[in-house]
Amino acid sequence: MTTTTKRPRGARTKLRRRVAGLLALGFGLLSAGMLFAAFAPQAQTAQAQQQDALVRQGEQIYLNTCQSCHGKSLEGVQDRGPSLIGVGDAAVYFQTSSGRMPMARQEAQAIRKPAKLSPEEINALMAYIDASGGEGPKKPTETGEGLRGDNPARGGELFRLNCSSCHNFTGRGGALSSGKFAPALDGVSEEQIYTAMLSGPQNMPKFGERQLTPEEKKDIIAYVKSVTDGNNNSGGNPLGGFGPVSEGLIAFIVGIAALIGVTLWIGAKA
Amino acid sequence: MSGDKPIELPSEAELAEMSRDDLVKLGTKMDGVELVHYEEKFPVPGTRAERRAQRTVALWFMISAVSGLAFLGVFLFWPWQYESPSNPEGHLLHMLYNPLIGLFLGLSVTGLGVGALLYTKKFIPDELAVQQRHDGPSAQVDRATLVAELADAGERSGIGRRSLIKRTAGLGAGVLGLGVAAVPLGALIKNPHSDSETKNSLWHTGWKAEKGEKVYLRRHTGNFHDVSLVRPEDVEPGGFETVFPFRESERDDEHALVAALKRADAPVMLIRLRPNQAVTKRAGQEDFNYGDLYAYSKICTHLGCPTSLFEQQTGLLLCPCHQSQFDVFEYAKPRFGPATRPLPQLPITVDEDGYLVARSDFIEAVGPAFWERKS
Repeated sequence: MTTTTKRPRGARTKLRRRVAGLLALGFGLLSAGMLFAAFAPQAQTAQAQQQDALVRQGEQIYLNTCQSCHGKSLEGVQDRGPSLIGVGDAAVYFQTSSGRMPMARQEAQAIRKPAKLSPEEINALMAYIDASGGEGPKKPTETGEGLRGDNPARGGELFRLNCSSCHNFTGRGGALSSGKFAPALDGVSEEQIYTAMLSGPQNMPKFGERQLTPEEKKDIIAYVKSVTDGNNNSGGNPLGGFGPVSEGLIAFIVGIAALIGVTLWIGAKA
Repeated sequence: MSGDKPIELPSEAELAEMSRDDLVKLGTKMDGVELVHYEEKFPVPGTRAERRAQRTVALWFMISAVSGLAFLGVFLFWPWQYESPSNPEGHLLHMLYNPLIGLFLGLSVTGLGVGALLYTKKFIPDELAVQQRHDGPSAQVDRATLVAELADAGERSGIGRRSLIKRTAGLGAGVLGLGVAAVPLGALIKNPHSDSETKNSLWHTGWKAEKGEKVYLRRHTGNFHDVSLVRPEDVEPGGFETVFPFRESERDDEHALVAALKRADAPVMLIRLRPNQAVTKRAGQEDFNYGDLYAYSKICTHLGCPTSLFEQQTGLLLCPCHQSQFDVFEYAKPRFGPATRPLPQLPITVDEDGYLVARSDFIEAVGPAFWERKS
């Protein structure tokens, strides 16, 4: 507590502090206002213009490469391509970056091939499809390793429950009905796995964020990455990655042949 | 024994005089074997050739010993824990664990085997032995005496006269035999349908409400002890998820939480069709779905495999075992393959808190047919 002798000095300091505070506040408000006036509206216009340009570029790409199957204004064409209104940019990213779209021809299902569109073109197309409205799933902002969770064991549990029935438990893929198939997961980027789960391309079911949380999806990606692209082949050769069938067959044939060979050799030398 | 010319056996005094070589010869002769050729590999001990042979054999035993040690070392101290490929060094070490223990254990066993084989080849003397083989059956006299001996032993044991012993022995053996037979036969005699009311019977599944308790739909989050209940909005149109039964009374029972996810009859596929999808419902089961959400048993009606290959555009559920196909747009009716019955549908609804619950158990038995099943 202050004493009586110190009061005048204390009051003077208080006053000074108040004045200084008011001045600082006024100066702060003024400069903030000036800064706002100087930059903000300009930046907004620039961003909007940039976005507009991107959408227009996307529309051009759409009209050049997609409209023959998906219609002039995304409405879809009977027996050729579905409507793209509100599908979300996750679907666009998956289909174009994996080269499935644009499709080479109508067949049982679109197959993976080198991407036809450049990353910039894909970005523009994503912006264009997004601008068509709807609440479709969005591509995550993280990329690459950022999409790998830190619990591949749990990811494996979820993969075997949700994905392995079609994609096989080490992501080798498998057959579906009438010429369709679930593709192998080798060489598929993290972003593609994520957007595939989100958008459910072709006959794959959708796995929304409320069903498999982003963390669970990332764990699944960590698991897929740990068993594909030649990883997790302790023996050096995955033998198709089918597990005991091919492994047992090879072990039997090679093992029996080797045993017979050694036996013959011992007999011949005796 | 076989009536060949008898061997002259030496007297005790002669026996004491005989050398070991003579004794070996006599022994083989008594067995009807004659050593024609019997030669030491290294008649003169300590030659250079012998030392070389010794070194070769010892080398293999040393390989075995060193590999055995290496195996032990790797088994005890190698970093075997899983390392993800994002840590290349740790991943490589982890990947080498299995091949290394296999390599060293294999080398150790092989070294022992090769060493023993080489020792036999290099040091065991060459021998050529001739043994006379007797033709046809044993001599008449041998056969007659053997039969007489056996009959005599039986007769003298007196088992024929002592009926008490005979009967009690028969009783003991008979009861034991019955016990042994009861083990495999018991399973055949047991009536599997004596219990037809509880959730463990063939007619019911883990979805059967017991004591009026609500049965929720629960998802598997990869952690067996998590309880994550399902709301209708969780599943996207064109999505599906596998769900399992959950009751509030199981919430703190870790064993029950794990068991619910592992029950063979429990997995149900919760499928959300896209809006405006035309659907044919099964007569009498028109209100089993909740909006676009349909719940079907995952157990194939053919032989019980999980039919979880879902094609969301064609609405087909495929069974991986025998290629049966079920049409979700038409009450999971079989479209192709050996299955003949549609997948049973679980009646679902939403409770006051917005969670999906089962209105009742399946109205038919899930999975493959069995004897008592009429449809």
